[in-house]
Amino acid sequence: MKFGKRQLASLLGIAALPKGATAQSAAARNRILVVGVNADPAGLEPGANRAEPIGSEIILNVFDTLVAWTPPAFAQLEGRLARSWTVSGDGRVFTFALRPGVKFHDDTACDAAAVKFSLERTRDSNPFMRATFGLIDAIEVTGPLELRITLKEPMPVFLSLLAQPQAAIVSPAAVARHGAAFNVNPVGTGPFRFRSYRPDTDVVLDANPDYFRGAPRLARIIYRVIPDASTRRLELENGGLDLVQQNAQLAALPTQDVRALRGRAGIEVIEVPSQIIRQLEFNNSGLQGPLRDVRVRRAITHAIDYDGLLDGVLGGTADRVYGPLPSNSWAFDPAIRDLAPKYDVARARALLAEAGVQPGQLKLTLYSFQGSLWGAVATFIQANLAAVGIEATVAQTEFPALRALHVAGRFEVALDGRQPWYNDPDAHITIGYLSSLADSAMTFRMPADAALDALILRAQTTVDFEARKQLYFQVQRQIMDRVPAAWLFSNKLIVFKRANVKGLVVNSAPPLNEYHGVFKE
Amino acid sequence: MGGYALRRLAALLPVLFLVLVIIFHLTRFIPGDPAVTLLGPGATDVQIAALRAQLRLDEPMGMQFLSYLGGLLRGDLGVSLKTGAPVAQEILLRLPATIELSVLALLVAIVVGIPLGVVSAIRANTGFDHAVRLVSLLGVSMPAFLLALVLQLVFGIALGWLPISGRTSPFFLDDPVTGFAVIDGLINGDGEAAWDAFRHLLLPTTVLAAFLAATLGRFVRNTMLETMGEDYIRTARAKGLPERAVFFVHALRNSLLPAVTVVGLKFAEMLGGAILTETVFAWPGIGRFMFDAIRNRDYPVIQGATLVFALMFMLVSLAVDLIQALLDPRIRKRMAS
Repeated sequence: MKFGKRQLASLLGIAALPKGATAQSAAARNRILVVGVNADPAGLEPGANRAEPIGSEIILNVFDTLVAWTPPAFAQLEGRLARSWTVSGDGRVFTFALRPGVKFHDDTACDAAAVKFSLERTRDSNPFMRATFGLIDAIEVTGPLELRITLKEPMPVFLSLLAQPQAAIVSPAAVARHGAAFNVNPVGTGPFRFRSYRPDTDVVLDANPDYFRGAPRLARIIYRVIPDASTRRLELENGGLDLVQQNAQLAALPTQDVRALRGRAGIEVIEVPSQIIRQLEFNNSGLQGPLRDVRVRRAITHAIDYDGLLDGVLGGTADRVYGPLPSNSWAFDPAIRDLAPKYDVARARALLAEAGVQPGQLKLTLYSFQGSLWGAVATFIQANLAAVGIEATVAQTEFPALRALHVAGRFEVALDGRQPWYNDPDAHITIGYLSSLADSAMTFRMPADAALDALILRAQTTVDFEARKQLYFQVQRQIMDRVPAAWLFSNKLIVFKRANVKGLVVNSAPPLNEYHGVFKE
Repeated sequence: MGGYALRRLAALLPVLFLVLVIIFHLTRFIPGDPAVTLLGPGATDVQIAALRAQLRLDEPMGMQFLSYLGGLLRGDLGVSLKTGAPVAQEILLRLPATIELSVLALLVAIVVGIPLGVVSAIRANTGFDHAVRLVSLLGVSMPAFLLALVLQLVFGIALGWLPISGRTSPFFLDDPVTGFAVIDGLINGDGEAAWDAFRHLLLPTTVLAAFLAATLGRFVRNTMLETMGEDYIRTARAKGLPERAVFFVHALRNSLLPAVTVVGLKFAEMLGGAILTETVFAWPGIGRFMFDAIRNRDYPVIQGATLVFALMFMLVSLAVDLIQALLDPRIRKRMAS
């Protein structure tokens, strides 16, 4: 007897029985978007959000902010709950007029009092926002749909922060009703209403037919939690997922998977430049031995084969970073492209010789995150350093442990990086290089440096856009003179989707997508 | 035997206490500070210190242990550092998924492994025996993640018969009743949901059961062959008992005793395997929950989940001992005394 597929199926008792959920009506399923994510959202509460990507994206689809970045360029802010706004000449007073007739999902009105309530709540309860929202002096309700926010000092980045999930406007009535459980019962004004959350399983959002910008085209979004990257890939290929984001770089799909999926029928890979920066950094406030000599640090920056890293190891999934800001930032100084170190083994050797470092004399431990991609980058750099006579030992370390080493300053060189959580050069420069923040997590641990600190703070607070840009040009050059790192690459934002998913505009800074205009063909 | 079971249950307490002491201190030796991990990049020293104080991580370890123990005596396993929810509630939410998977895998392993071992022994050195030995060798040596991937590729992608991951299809949104997906589907009168949940169980169960079934098959085959060489088997044959009675009444019962012990011991390994299986199949059980907790340095969750694993293992050991007593009158006699 020929033992075929059908016989095997009936032996297992599978073929004879109905296919269950998979048999659901195709039309209904075609209005449901299933998004694969690697972990649960850390929370759905703007008042506690710490820029964790999954929760942040859900918040931006359930809630609205006063302003938002305008797609597809995401270079200009547009009004959302705010119909219009003005900023005073000294950059301290922001006056907003709100859109009339907007209702929360619980049918209460979204007015100036709700905006005041939400922003004050985030200011008072979210430690992540203390440094920025702490500068809010007063929020005054000047009419049912009008309010005025006064800052203690100018903060040009303030509007940009108002577009972030932490500044989403919550329903005061729902907060009163749910208390601490608002975290898993979010109520906003957004295009999707929260329906359910099953830990380690899924978050389900239903369309809000009364959304003030028009009902979304999808009926439902299901965020499915699938921790394993290869399982996410199989589900995408099999149609179990419509969309997978590479939003957690530490749990990203290996580059060979990206290559494989690029050519797969029925799947589209969207790749856009991001503002992520990955670097090899020195322990700048605790430099030891030869690394104290700027020539030695500079030699290391010339020893690295940047193009080889981008093409060979990263397979075109990343762009070069030339300095402290990514090249798609509005504050990026184009002249930095020429100033950035180039791969030059002879120059690296000469600089080391000039500094009196003999081949084989300098031995370093190179810390890196875990994961095959980080391992490959670390090994590549290890080989680059060996070629100029520097002996590096790679230590791949679990994330919490590496962060602990970093905060305590117990390392010499480490691979590290930052994904800015708001769209402003300040997100890289102030947090990364201000010496007073040196002991915070994941900074460049810059030593006390009054001149550089003053320049950074001036750039942060200057209201005039052009003047501010010029100040950031200066900041970039000054930082580069000090050689605190070898800036390596910027991962592209990669979204894998089924070809029938249309209307998605990928946001690059930060990588949080809105699904209001998305639909399935 | 009831008295014996009670005595054994009472003896669980000191063992659990010991497990608790060890795991409490071990978790704190893992490098990495939960406060730093929770606050994310850009957190200042002051913020980290404030969170450490809020989570009471700044107290001496002895104090932390005593307050944890005090809570435990009141049935309070603490709150998750990551989500802020009570650990007991978080574990109870995920426990049914793990029990569903591991108990089913245990049953499958027994139902498949023991008969295969027996038939293999009866037909020792035949083609069937060689095939079983080959397959069981594969089952013992193949890493779970590889078997999982192969099964996903064959049954999920190539044949398209079974779901690749998850506990139910995301399109079923019924509220849980018991937490056991198949049973809930039946209670809700939703046959389709129950069938969907059952289909989702098949691949992870197979992966989890494979190792135990293979180990058990090999073990039962060997002990059966050993038993078949015993004098009392020769006696049984000599007095003219039919071969079926020799096998099933005399040989099998005696071979099963050590097999039951193996099941008990290997169940612990299987629980360890559940961590990996649950991750690969996106199964929302406590294995995966514990894995995430270790990555996040979520001490109370690590402690709570370890306690649950320890308890499950000890209960299975107890069950093994009781089953042995049922099978062996000598043990029953010892228990009574």
